[in-house]
Amino acid sequence: MRRYAPLTKLILTIIISIWAILFDSPAILAGVAGLQLLLLAITRVSTTVYKGILGLVMFALMLAVMQYLFGATISLALVTGLRMLNMTLIFIIMLASTRISDITAALVKQCRIPSDYAFMFTAALRFIPDFLEESKAVREAQSCRGYSSRGNAFKRMKSYLTVVEPLVLRAVTKSETMAMSLELRGFGSQRQQASLAHVALHGRDYILISLTTLVTLALIINKLQPIGF
Amino acid sequence: MLELRQVSFAYPQFTAVRDISLTVEPGEFTAIVGKNGSGKTTLTRLMMSLLKPSHGQILLNGQDTKKLLPADLATTIGYVFQNPDRQILRDTVEQEIAYGPQQLGFSPDRQQKNVQMAMEVCGLAELAQAYPRSLSKGCKQRLAIASVLALEPQMLILDEPTSGQDATDKDKMMKLLADLNNQGLTIILVTHDMEILMQYAQRVIVLNAGNMVFDGTPNDLFMDNNPIAAWGLQVPTILHLSQKLAKYGIPATNSADRLCQSLLGPMEDKQL
Repeated sequence: MRRYAPLTKLILTIIISIWAILFDSPAILAGVAGLQLLLLAITRVSTTVYKGILGLVMFALMLAVMQYLFGATISLALVTGLRMLNMTLIFIIMLASTRISDITAALVKQCRIPSDYAFMFTAALRFIPDFLEESKAVREAQSCRGYSSRGNAFKRMKSYLTVVEPLVLRAVTKSETMAMSLELRGFGSQRQQASLAHVALHGRDYILISLTTLVTLALIINKLQPIGF
Repeated sequence: MLELRQVSFAYPQFTAVRDISLTVEPGEFTAIVGKNGSGKTTLTRLMMSLLKPSHGQILLNGQDTKKLLPADLATTIGYVFQNPDRQILRDTVEQEIAYGPQQLGFSPDRQQKNVQMAMEVCGLAELAQAYPRSLSKGCKQRLAIASVLALEPQMLILDEPTSGQDATDKDKMMKLLADLNNQGLTIILVTHDMEILMQYAQRVIVLNAGNMVFDGTPNDLFMDNNPIAAWGLQVPTILHLSQKLAKYGIPATNSADRLCQSLLGPMEDKQL
């Protein structure tokens, strides 16, 4: 997957998400998820990504169980869980196999998204691990003053509010610092150029985009005028 | 009393603390020093139960802390982080200090008494209604100390509390810690500041690559032939000057006042 251009992976993310909505057979959705896991194995990502995926699988299972408990059929419950899993898996594959700066360049140069908006998207992605780290640090600081996440769910949710406030304020401060730092380094300048070196499409990209688009079109036609697929 | 028995801790990528055994007696003023990444902060986090040892045992007043949360230790150990912003969550200094006692269910009378005491001890009484986030770094750090003092701890662990502060704030902070120590509070201080170490600490623990390589008095650390440069430390300026002057018959000392007296005393005598 690393050899494909960021734009191809962005398009693939959208296409797989459409497939997840169009397919309503648990077996086919499980097949798509399996295919994505195979892609992930080929991509050779870090063990942290696999841990995250394990969490996703657990969440998908929980979602399916909840659906079933609230009156859905087993088939519908499985479809719901698998749809969520498929949509998130492809997103993770894209992020794990693409540099954030390449995604920004693809969004700006190939998708014609204004650079400010593209940067906002990628900066938000980059903030996630920082935010999790900060959340842990704030929780630790509060725990040393008697904050404890023990007790029932309501109690835990209420006590978590003490973590949220410092976390949000620190995130705001951090984003202000980051904005200033970016401006000082030329962000927003008229002469600013995004590099296209890593984002240009090649033959393999066109083949993958064409094939997956054709499959998607066939699925949409089949959905509108069922021919038994 | 805090006792560490053959404590080790490993992160997934490396071992941060290796086989450390030590005892911190009540009323001690101990400094933990060493290079960046030598394991100082990890060691204090183990003491506070923010991390659990991979091997070994930590006993606080005879009780194993393995199954305890930091919140369970909060009334015995006050832990002050390097960055006070992470703990500020209330709108006034007074409310901020009251947060801990409220969390731990202290009675309203005890809360009020402790908040007043903590503000007075830390020199924050006049700032009781101030917005905590608008305070200077030094005041925020004193607020962080006041916040844990309100929980009536027996011991304070401070992770580089003077970093990023000007000389006045640094001085205030260290005088506050010395006063608290004189009142019987045990202090464990992580620091890179050798002048502070020399002036205030009774005991120094040096860590190097996760190993405890020295445990003794500041004088022993600098006077003996220890490889202090290899441990990432520097001889305090006064002591360095004094050691250079020793070959001219000036008695070696770590006190600026005593050195001045040794140097200027004979001149002043002549003038008289």
